[in-house]
Amino acid sequence: MAKTEIRVGGLGGQGVILCGSIIGKAAAIHGGKHATLIQAFGPEARGSACSAQVTVSDDVIGYPYVKNPDILVLMSQDAFNQFIPQLKPGGMVLYEAELVKPDGKLPEGVRAMGVPATRFAEELGRRLVLNIVMVGFFAGVTGLLPFEAVEKAVLDSVPRGTEELNLKALKKGYDFGREQAV
Amino acid sequence: MGPESFPQNIHLRDGSSATLLPLKPGDMDALQAFYRNLPEEERLVLKDDVASPQWAKSFHQRLETGEVISLIAMAGDRIVGEGTLYRTFRGWTRHVGEIRICCHQDYRRRGLGTSLAANLVKLATDLGIEKIIVQVVANQLGARKVFEKLGFHKDAVLPHHVMDLAGTKRDLIVMANDVSQIWAAMEAINQDTPLHMGD
Repeated sequence: MAKTEIRVGGLGGQGVILCGSIIGKAAAIHGGKHATLIQAFGPEARGSACSAQVTVSDDVIGYPYVKNPDILVLMSQDAFNQFIPQLKPGGMVLYEAELVKPDGKLPEGVRAMGVPATRFAEELGRRLVLNIVMVGFFAGVTGLLPFEAVEKAVLDSVPRGTEELNLKALKKGYDFGREQAV
Repeated sequence: MGPESFPQNIHLRDGSSATLLPLKPGDMDALQAFYRNLPEEERLVLKDDVASPQWAKSFHQRLETGEVISLIAMAGDRIVGEGTLYRTFRGWTRHVGEIRICCHQDYRRRGLGTSLAANLVKLATDLGIEKIIVQVVANQLGARKVFEKLGFHKDAVLPHHVMDLAGTKRDLIVMANDVSQIWAAMEAINQDTPLHMGD
């Protein structure tokens, strides 16, 4: 039974929960797997710490909480500092390269890859889609889910009229992730 | 969406096709020929005197400054439709764009106007324009339907504002699409507040 535990972390307002939700939807609704999502917030909404715990499995998931993730997807330095000690030995860290500086704090054997998601999102015209770039980067690097499943999950999740730009953001992150994964 | 999206081949409802591409300054003569071939009654409902050399000069200038973005639809080497996005870079309506669409009589009810309008809405949204308006005469039911499908709604009615060649007055309807709301919705779901079942 293949089970992958993921924690997405960042600041409220970055779309952390949506990022986790899309990964879960891609797995459970469009990818033929099982998935769970747990959301965690700081006392304020925007600007405070926020994280999503996502479990993706080939089998039914009995326990949805993620204590020691296999993969971290991080969009803020605070989230990096908070969650890096929880990462499983040999796990993977995917981070927003302009907002997170690992600065040698990575445990041995951990695979870490950064993506300038904010810059990519700004180049596409909306900083707001940085979380979708991160989803694409996650899909490209890990290969955990078929791109088509993630694409459908994005389309299911974003407001009407924003689909085109969100899909561009997804593809941008995915292509960058594929390059990094080689 | 940008210049890389064009030329764009579109398939029309009757099985024919057309190519959408941005108007270049060198296409002005062909564009004016297209407009001169429209029946006078139809030219009358256009805001500008599109057959006049003064209009062509002003349109050309605004094309170069970027205040006007124009898409033409070509069938072979002939212009069969044109759509324009007007915007201004200063003043209190700098967040507003206005769209005007015109199709050759033979190319109506085939989806050409919808394609031109949809592409201009996308261009406007990607340029950061927050509100797009279009003016339609009350009896232009087809045009109203097209813009309603693209998310426009009736924003204002100017009673008896338009008078045709026979002297009949009709209401002018200003339809608007507040595209900033689209991204406000995206911002709302990125707020990282609890998602509920069905979100």
